[in-house]
Amino acid sequence: MQIDHWMMFSTFAEQRHFEYPEKGTYQGVIINANMAAYAPAGLAAFLLEKTATGTYIIDPLTHAFQHDPEVICNSEGEPKSSIKSIAQAYGDPVLALVGARPLLPKHFKDSKVLRAFTERCVKFQLDYLRSFMKEADAAKYVDDDEIKPPYAVVAPYFFLTETTYAHWLPICIGAAKQTRENLGDGECQKVFAAVVVSQGILLDERAQEAIAGRLSEAAPDGYLLWVDDLDENSASKGELAGLLNLARRLRANGKREVINLHGGYFSIMAAGVLGKSALSGVTHGPEFGEFRPVVPVGGGIPIARYYIPRLHARARYRDALRMFTAKGSLDSAAIFHADICDCGECKDVLTNDAANFTLFGESTVKSVRRKHGIVRIDFPTTEAKRRCLCHYLEKKRIEYQFAATASDTLLLSDLDTGIQAYQDVAGLEGVAHLQRWKETLTA
Amino acid sequence: MRFLADEGYRIRLEVPNMGQSADLVASRSRWLTFVEAKRHDWRRALRQCRAHEAVADYICVAISLRSVSNALLQEAKDVGYGLIRYDLASQTCEWMLQPSRNTKVWLPQRRRLMAAMKVIDYAD
Repeated sequence: MQIDHWMMFSTFAEQRHFEYPEKGTYQGVIINANMAAYAPAGLAAFLLEKTATGTYIIDPLTHAFQHDPEVICNSEGEPKSSIKSIAQAYGDPVLALVGARPLLPKHFKDSKVLRAFTERCVKFQLDYLRSFMKEADAAKYVDDDEIKPPYAVVAPYFFLTETTYAHWLPICIGAAKQTRENLGDGECQKVFAAVVVSQGILLDERAQEAIAGRLSEAAPDGYLLWVDDLDENSASKGELAGLLNLARRLRANGKREVINLHGGYFSIMAAGVLGKSALSGVTHGPEFGEFRPVVPVGGGIPIARYYIPRLHARARYRDALRMFTAKGSLDSAAIFHADICDCGECKDVLTNDAANFTLFGESTVKSVRRKHGIVRIDFPTTEAKRRCLCHYLEKKRIEYQFAATASDTLLLSDLDTGIQAYQDVAGLEGVAHLQRWKETLTA
Repeated sequence: MRFLADEGYRIRLEVPNMGQSADLVASRSRWLTFVEAKRHDWRRALRQCRAHEAVADYICVAISLRSVSNALLQEAKDVGYGLIRYDLASQTCEWMLQPSRNTKVWLPQRRRLMAAMKVIDYAD
């Protein structure tokens, strides 16, 4: 069994990590359309130079235009330049509305409008970055056929909630069908539909049935799945079961690919042996992005947190330190590597001295203006962030492999081990997510 | 601040510690006492104090309440934190509970804190 490991592009500062811990770790890169429109030359160079396969999917981010315009505007009330760039590429109806009024289903009442909009959206994904890749310096060193189209073209899509899906779904279906027609017999033959839904949809069986059933009429080759701000570590069993159920409906017994755009270890297990391949792939960002709200659109600053392998959760440095000292795991480097982590990065950082764990929390002090005056706050150094990130990426790779190849018994006992190891220091609530994952995946 | 200074402490304000900022750090000899001050929200103060357990010899909550609840007294006592009550009317402080010595200090983190504190001036 294989679980496709995708990584979301976030900032250029992190581009060197798309081949970390080794070449070929990632199936490909998910790129937001606003980023592609805003910095195409940089992204073209990144795909050619910093990824092993140059495989990518562009998320067209068409939902950006349906929200209150405020969420896509800057402090001066103008549309953010990256959003304006995609509006220009997609044309009307979004170009006429961007920053002023939200896009509504009625704006696509005329089928010609949806057809033309979809055509431009598809063209953007197929041609825009590629044209910059062909012009990039690095293009000299690759054959023309290595400058590839996207892995799949994503049909224009809109955010679906329990109360709005009936209005938007017909448009999503029409756009997916139109996308297929637009591909013709070109190089890219895969059409993905995006299922971007509220958490409420996970608890609404009828809505799930309608979304999965009706979208399948458009016969997409796969789906991008994104549940608004679903943190798997705090999600209820009902929500997790809903996610599993929706993924399985979309997957249609393995006939279609389903990639969770923002998923953590629960999704990875769902894609693996224990979840019987409910998903084909899972995406995360470098050190963040295991869950993400639909609004605000784009953005997000990565922060340093230490990933606790047995908890399958990130923790603030101070919380990780409190738990590790309470467990005695920092009494020596050997105990740390046996109890907490023995990845290459942790070994390099500790260099046989547990005191060097402080390097994961290394910080510099900055003065910050707050309500009651200036306060000093320490911010993680760039190096501390890099250390946390490399450790996280090493553990993530292992999680994907483990979930794809280990037996049910081993996977479940790994969750039990986490519960036993941390309940005394994190409390029952601190380990409850492991119990919820276990119960959902074995229900 | 004067209350602690009168007891022989040197005071630093707003001392950063692992992504938080301690309201006050009082030092006397080689001992460090961390104080989180709040007007009302003592539960939040107790939560903030947890991060200081890796570095502080003593930890206290200073609270500006007319009367201190038994729940606060008990919780502070359970975790060994001290409790200082500030009386707004008389503008005076009093010890409601003396802190116990914190035994959870992790020396490597403490050394990092000491190095960082050198650049912070005393406020008294």
